[in-house]
Amino acid sequence: MLNFQDTIFALSQFWAKQGCVIALPYDLEVGAGTMCPETFFRVLGPNPCSVAYVQPSRRPADGRYGENPNRLLKHTQFQVILKPPPKDVQDVYLKSLESLGIKLSEHDIRFEEDNWEAPTLGAWGIGWQVMLDGLEITQFTYFQQSGGIDLEPISVELTYGLERIAGFLQNVDDVFEVLWNKSVKYGALRREEEFELSVYDFEAADAEACRKLLDTYEAEALRLLSMRVAPAFRPASGGPHEAGRSQNAGMPAADRFPLRKVYEFALKCSHLFNILDARGAISVTERVALIARIRRIACESARIYAARQAAQPEVQPA
Amino acid sequence: MSPASQETLPLLLEIGCEEMPARFLAEAQKQLGDQLRAYLRANRLLENPNALLETYSTPRRLVAYLPQVAARQPDKVEDVMGPPVKAAFDAEGKYTRAAEAFAAKHGAEVSALKRVTTPKGEYLALETREHGQPAAEVLSRLLDVLLWNMSFPKSIHWGKPDGAKFSFLRPIRWIVALLGEGKSAEVIPFNVAGVPAGHKTFGHRLAGRNAIAVSGFADLERNLRAAKVEINSEARREMIREASKVLLEGSESLVEDAELETWHVNSTEWPSAIAGAFDHSFLELPREILITVMRGHQKYFAVEDSAARLRPRFMAILNRADDPKGLIRAGHERVLRARFSDARFFWDTDQKIPLRDRLPLLEKVTYHEKLGSYADKVRRMEAIAGEICRVLRDQGKMTLVDETSAKRAVQLCKCDLTTQMVQEFPELQGVVGGLYATAQGEPPEVADAIYDHYLPQGAEDRCPRTTIGAVVSLADKFDSVAEGFRAGLAPTGSSDPFGLRRAGNGVIKIAIEALPGFDVLAFAERTVEGSRGPVAQGDPVGTLCSFLRERTEFYLRTSGGLRGDTVRAIVHSFKSWSPPSDALLRGKQLEPFVTTDAFQALAVAAKRTRNILSKSATQADRGDRYGIEEHLLSAGPERDMFEAYLKLKGQLEDFAGRGMYAEAFKQVAQVRPVVDRFFDKVMVMDENLDLRANRLRLLDHLNALVFLRFADLSQIESSGSTVGAPTSEEK
Repeated sequence: MLNFQDTIFALSQFWAKQGCVIALPYDLEVGAGTMCPETFFRVLGPNPCSVAYVQPSRRPADGRYGENPNRLLKHTQFQVILKPPPKDVQDVYLKSLESLGIKLSEHDIRFEEDNWEAPTLGAWGIGWQVMLDGLEITQFTYFQQSGGIDLEPISVELTYGLERIAGFLQNVDDVFEVLWNKSVKYGALRREEEFELSVYDFEAADAEACRKLLDTYEAEALRLLSMRVAPAFRPASGGPHEAGRSQNAGMPAADRFPLRKVYEFALKCSHLFNILDARGAISVTERVALIARIRRIACESARIYAARQAAQPEVQPA
Repeated sequence: MSPASQETLPLLLEIGCEEMPARFLAEAQKQLGDQLRAYLRANRLLENPNALLETYSTPRRLVAYLPQVAARQPDKVEDVMGPPVKAAFDAEGKYTRAAEAFAAKHGAEVSALKRVTTPKGEYLALETREHGQPAAEVLSRLLDVLLWNMSFPKSIHWGKPDGAKFSFLRPIRWIVALLGEGKSAEVIPFNVAGVPAGHKTFGHRLAGRNAIAVSGFADLERNLRAAKVEINSEARREMIREASKVLLEGSESLVEDAELETWHVNSTEWPSAIAGAFDHSFLELPREILITVMRGHQKYFAVEDSAARLRPRFMAILNRADDPKGLIRAGHERVLRARFSDARFFWDTDQKIPLRDRLPLLEKVTYHEKLGSYADKVRRMEAIAGEICRVLRDQGKMTLVDETSAKRAVQLCKCDLTTQMVQEFPELQGVVGGLYATAQGEPPEVADAIYDHYLPQGAEDRCPRTTIGAVVSLADKFDSVAEGFRAGLAPTGSSDPFGLRRAGNGVIKIAIEALPGFDVLAFAERTVEGSRGPVAQGDPVGTLCSFLRERTEFYLRTSGGLRGDTVRAIVHSFKSWSPPSDALLRGKQLEPFVTTDAFQALAVAAKRTRNILSKSATQADRGDRYGIEEHLLSAGPERDMFEAYLKLKGQLEDFAGRGMYAEAFKQVAQVRPVVDRFFDKVMVMDENLDLRANRLRLLDHLNALVFLRFADLSQIESSGSTVGAPTSEEK
């Protein structure tokens, strides 16, 4: 029987053998593994990409103070991007389940239509939810657009719900009873965090403060975007890092643009939006407008990334 | 030797895909068959338009089979026209240069030219023969075009394996394309999206990943069955029914759900069933919630006993033959336990804030970007419901106590939108509100009205059970329509983003079926005129009212089951639509008469009368009087008609007042001989201006009373013409 961390090890091993880079979880709050730059940007443009990573994902509205055995504010995704996907991508996916000790001959696996859309990212895809004996364990998507840009080649995105899979493997009904390792339970590690995050998101969050933060992050993103054509930033001469900077000082201004930071501000905004939403603080007309504001930054970032790719394709390590 | 043109070969096509969505499968199967037939016909490979063509589907394949397509296209023989005979021969009867040039252009000898007679005269012509090609060659060019041209409501793009951007319902992974059968079967060479056609198929995912070679349709069907794939969806439906029947105990039956059954038929290759159990304690949750949890998320059938009480059991459909270790059943039971626990958690949490305390929370729930919050909507609904109640009280159909209940129901009806249960199961909105209201001690008439207030959701759906429920539902839908129009969200063509047609249909259905006698059209004119607020476009009152009239006409034609001409006769009558329930009643009672000789004749007389009154006669012709002067009437047909008119006048009002339109129309039918004789014998446009004026006035009265009063008889079509065809308007 695999415990929670074994499950992560097994999937990482499996996908590493398939040639995936095992990346690290992203160090910002995200609603899903899709939002990480490793997915959002790398599905754009012509360069192949195989990457897998664990990603803790926060959905403030799903918070239940750690009281509900099936629902978490922060759950754990295992995300895989395959670009381009192999022709037998479904079979490879099924083999990954076998690597977890699931004997397909004893279970009922279904690929049920389920299409996916993230309006704040201008991203959508077509695919399935994979059902294992009635339990949704994976979202399997042929990505069609990211940042409002049509994708070519297409990427397959696999998102495993690790808590569900672990509960299934351990035959446990309550997520907090899942064994993380041999002796420590999921609840011991995570229940307090669930409780505290729920208290903040539902009760303690100051809507005005969150709104101000959102405005500030947005303004910072827009400020950077406005300087894209003629960046005002230059390495300071005589500073403590003079030697390091001097090498890139001669780069074209556009290449010095801190694109990923712009996108990180979009992620910050997105998370604040989710908190405000869970708090019930988003007014009637505000909702659509807020989504559009965040999408604008995300889509603008995607366009810049795609333009860079077109100008200077990355060299892919063999 | 080339095969004779009659020789035929069987054709088999299988498109193997990753799992296609159940909801599109039947349509995709049909489209493949239709397209294939059309392409084969257009390419002279299928002489008989009704030639046998079978199609099948599973989530992973679309199959088409034609036992007989032409092995070779028949030759195509055509005459290519050359010069006229006059120009083709010179005086000595020798071929001219024109004739020779024509023959040379087509690579023929002049001697091969023949004479053809056309309406323009005699010409030289060359008979050309395009030799038919073998079917395999034609098909290899045709099949990939066919697949390129298939279209789906939602298709997927999965890369450019052969350089072109192809999309399909789901990625194509194999293709079987065979012409001929058994040892002589040949693969039709083509490829699509990088997948070459071949002779190998794949079985059920559990049957392994090895390809299976097939040599024809029967072989495919047999091999696939052995590999646990049943391609015939009706056979799969039987498998599902049989498998679940066996598992039922005692007097148990499945809660019927045809849509769910079809979903399973179209999402399995080899279905079977398992019966699972859940803890009795979950039966404390309402039936509606249990069924929705089982159906919505888990696609399970609920099980009930002979008294329609839910049993603590469920039926899950598997896409495999069995559950060898019972692990699948245990898995489903575990998932359902979690789902039910969730629902119970929602129920318990939601009770902490009763519906009545949730009204302020609606301020933050968006109804529509342009139309404010649900709290705004509830305030508007209160005003509308109040108006409706006032009308119903005047009609004696409601008491003041009822009105108080209706008001309470309106205030509470949207509050369930703030509950976790509805956020989780949006399809239970209203139902959850009704259940919570009962649990929280609201009076049953309030709870029932909340429960029912989204009804009817379609033409086939039922209306709310009570008058109070009908008032709440009508207020809700009326507000949606009126506000939708005010905000410029009116439906155009096939686009109706705000679902106004559906809401409008609901308004009319309730007015006719649940609140008969309620004149919703007049109500719309009064209420909307009185309302204030920014107006997005044009004349919203006029637009709204004509929209509701259009919906009424739609109802009369569809749910009402009336003929097109009957509907026009009703809506163009003086009594017009009002109220819509009366329009339906009149239409139903008119229909038995419209095909009778008397009404067919009266329809002609009505048209004639209208022509005379509107075309031939001017206002001056009628004189300055309104009434009919008896002393000017001549004895005989004219006098008779006047008498008939007087007699009818009293009778019709009496019958109509009691809703006895059939009796009224019967009386109308009886005046036919009098009317016929009048038009035969009496000259309306008499030279004597006084007589002319008096006769026109007599016709005016007759027209108003007989031809237009309850139905515009001139709209009735002669029985020879097609029902529902538009009449040409006489001007």
